[in-house]
Amino acid sequence: MKIDNSLPLEYSTEENQLKVLGFWIFLGAEVMLFGTLFATFFTLVHRTAGGPTGAELFEITPVLIETFLLLASSFTIGLGIHAMRLGRKNAMLAFFGITLLLGLGFLGVEIFDFVQYVHEGATIQTSGFTSILFSTLGTHGAHVSVGFFWGLFIMLQVKKRGLTPQNANKAFIFSLYWHFLDVVWIFIFSFIYLKGMM
Amino acid sequence: MKELFPAKQVMGFVFSLILTIVALLVYYTDMSFTAGMTVLLITAFIQAGLQLIVFMHAGETKDKGAIYTNIYYGVFMALITILGTLLCMIWGYV
Repeated sequence: MKIDNSLPLEYSTEENQLKVLGFWIFLGAEVMLFGTLFATFFTLVHRTAGGPTGAELFEITPVLIETFLLLASSFTIGLGIHAMRLGRKNAMLAFFGITLLLGLGFLGVEIFDFVQYVHEGATIQTSGFTSILFSTLGTHGAHVSVGFFWGLFIMLQVKKRGLTPQNANKAFIFSLYWHFLDVVWIFIFSFIYLKGMM
Repeated sequence: MKELFPAKQVMGFVFSLILTIVALLVYYTDMSFTAGMTVLLITAFIQAGLQLIVFMHAGETKDKGAIYTNIYYGVFMALITILGTLLCMIWGYV
C-alpha cells in the first residue's frame, strides 16, 4: 500500500481517496432522496383532512432546540476532524463524543415532539399532511439514529487501534455524513417548520 | 488548546448561528409570504454552502471537480423533482 505523507491521513492512499469520492456520490443520491420527500411535502402540505395544520401543530421552542443542537454538533464534528489531522487522538475522541451526545439530545427532543403531535391528534394516518410530515422528519431522524451508532463504533475503533489511515478515513467519511444531516435539517427547519408557522 | 479551535471553523459556526437567527425573523416579525420565502431560500442555501465548503472540505483534493459536479447534479435533480412536482400538482391548477 502506497502511503502519501503529504496529504492528511484520511486521503493518504488511493483507496482512501476513492472511498471519500464514493461517499460524496452517495450523498448526491441522498440529496435526491430528500428532494422527493420535500416535493411530496409541498404537494400535500394543505391536505389536512380536518386534522391539525402545521401552524396548529408546530411549536417554536423544541424546533429551535433541535436546530441549535444539530448546528453545534456539526461544529464539534468539524473540530473532531481538525483534531484528528493534528494527530490529537484524545481531543478527537472527546469532540466525537460531544457530537454524539448532541445528536442524542436532538433525537430526544424530536421523539418528545413526535409524542406531542400524536397527543394532539396527528398520527401518521391522520392526513396526507401528517403522513408526509412524519415520513420526512422520520427519514431524517432515522439517519441521525444510524449516525449515532456509526459514530460510536468509529470511536471504539480509533480508541482500540489508534489513528491509522483506515480509521482516519472512516472518521472523515462519518463527518461528511453528519454535516450532511445538518444540511438536511436546515431545509426541514426552513421549509417545513418556519414556512409552516409563518 | 487554542490550536484545536481553528478560526475558520469557529467563524463558520458563528456565521451559521447568525443565518439561523436571520431565518427566525420570518417567525418573529410580520412578513409577507413572498418576503418570508425569499429570506428562507437565501439563508438555507447559504447555510448549506457554508457546511459544504467550511466543514466538509469539499474543495480539498484532486477530486474537487468530480465532487462538485456530483453535488451540483444531485441538487439539480432534487430541484427538478421539487419544481416539476409543484408545476404539475399545484401551480398547474391555480
